[in-house]
Amino acid sequence: MPQFESHFFSSLIFWEILSFGVLFFLLYKYAFPSLLGMLEEREKKIKDSLDQAERHRSEAERKLREYEAKLATAAKDAEALLTQAKERAQRLMEENEQRMTVDAERIKGDATREIEHERRKAVQDIRSQTTDLALMVAEKVVGRALTEADHRRLADEALDALSKTYQSRN
Amino acid sequence: MEESPLHAFELHELIPLVPAGIDISINKAVILMWVVVGLVAFLMISAAAARKLVPGKLQNLAELIVEFIRGIILDTMGEPGMKYFPLIATLFLFILFANLIGLIPGSYTVTSQIIVTAVFAVGMYGLSIVLGFSLHGVKFLGILVPPGTPGWLLPLMIPIELISQLARPISLAVRLFANMTAGHVILGVLFGLAISGGLLIGWLPFAFTIAMNGLEVGIAFIQAYIFTVLSCVYLGDAVTLHGHSEHAH
Repeated sequence: MPQFESHFFSSLIFWEILSFGVLFFLLYKYAFPSLLGMLEEREKKIKDSLDQAERHRSEAERKLREYEAKLATAAKDAEALLTQAKERAQRLMEENEQRMTVDAERIKGDATREIEHERRKAVQDIRSQTTDLALMVAEKVVGRALTEADHRRLADEALDALSKTYQSRN
Repeated sequence: MEESPLHAFELHELIPLVPAGIDISINKAVILMWVVVGLVAFLMISAAAARKLVPGKLQNLAELIVEFIRGIILDTMGEPGMKYFPLIATLFLFILFANLIGLIPGSYTVTSQIIVTAVFAVGMYGLSIVLGFSLHGVKFLGILVPPGTPGWLLPLMIPIELISQLARPISLAVRLFANMTAGHVILGVLFGLAISGGLLIGWLPFAFTIAMNGLEVGIAFIQAYIFTVLSCVYLGDAVTLHGHSEHAH
């Protein structure tokens, strides 16, 4: 085999060691520090990004919990407010109803009293007019005047009788 | 055109150089070494010069290689092995590119020279021995005694381990040399058949040549990887001395 020709060994050994040495030096000086540094930098960057993402995530979670708590409080508040408003409305309604009932009672009472008063007045008027009328009739019938006192007595007696019959009829 | 399939491995002096009685004449293999050095240096340095956080194509490729070698070192030697990263990476890149460039028709496969692979193998193995003794002193001889060996087995184990140790650089050198040589011999034979077969039947070996070439690209990668991994394992053995995982031979 041509590879075992020792004639070329010395030159191959020499140039191999030299080439390898030169390549080693070049890469050691100009390539590897930058490449390895780059890899480390990227690793660090990725790790940092992941850490940051994790931080953001936990913060978002915390905020979400916070908002949920706030939302729950708000809902509770709203419910309380609603209940309060309902109670208030109920109370107002009841109050109104009561007041209206009272008012109606009062108005009814007033009206009743007024009617009673008017009725009495009317009865009084009728009685006095009837008396006068009766007297006039009696004067005409009897032909002579009675004393004023007599008139009154007689008329009252007549009217009492009249009112008795009137009341018994009613 | 009938010629030996080994013809491709023949070297011829191109520029005779014999300073101080040592023959360092330039031949094709030497020129190809320069090509390898130039190409690797150009690729890696221009990739490193980009230095972008989001890498371009070239930087991505260089980083892929660096990450790959870093993975090998961390797997075999652990974090302390990163001290040897420049050496291991240069070794891997030199062998890989020598293997790959050798596949280009008309070029020369530097790693198909036994002496070239032997220098790498003896160099890496020698380094592991030197490192072992300088880190652990005489205790480094304990590498000949696998942990847990009973005392009465020592007379048997030590010679076996000694042979296994001596076989390391030889197997390392021969594995790479033989793989490269065999691949190119097969390619040469198939191509010779394609030429001599003519149009009628020659297309068949020619198709095989194409398939073999694809296979050889894979072998170029695998052999560079194996050489690098084993070098790392030997270095790791020397640095940690029964420290972690048992190595594979």
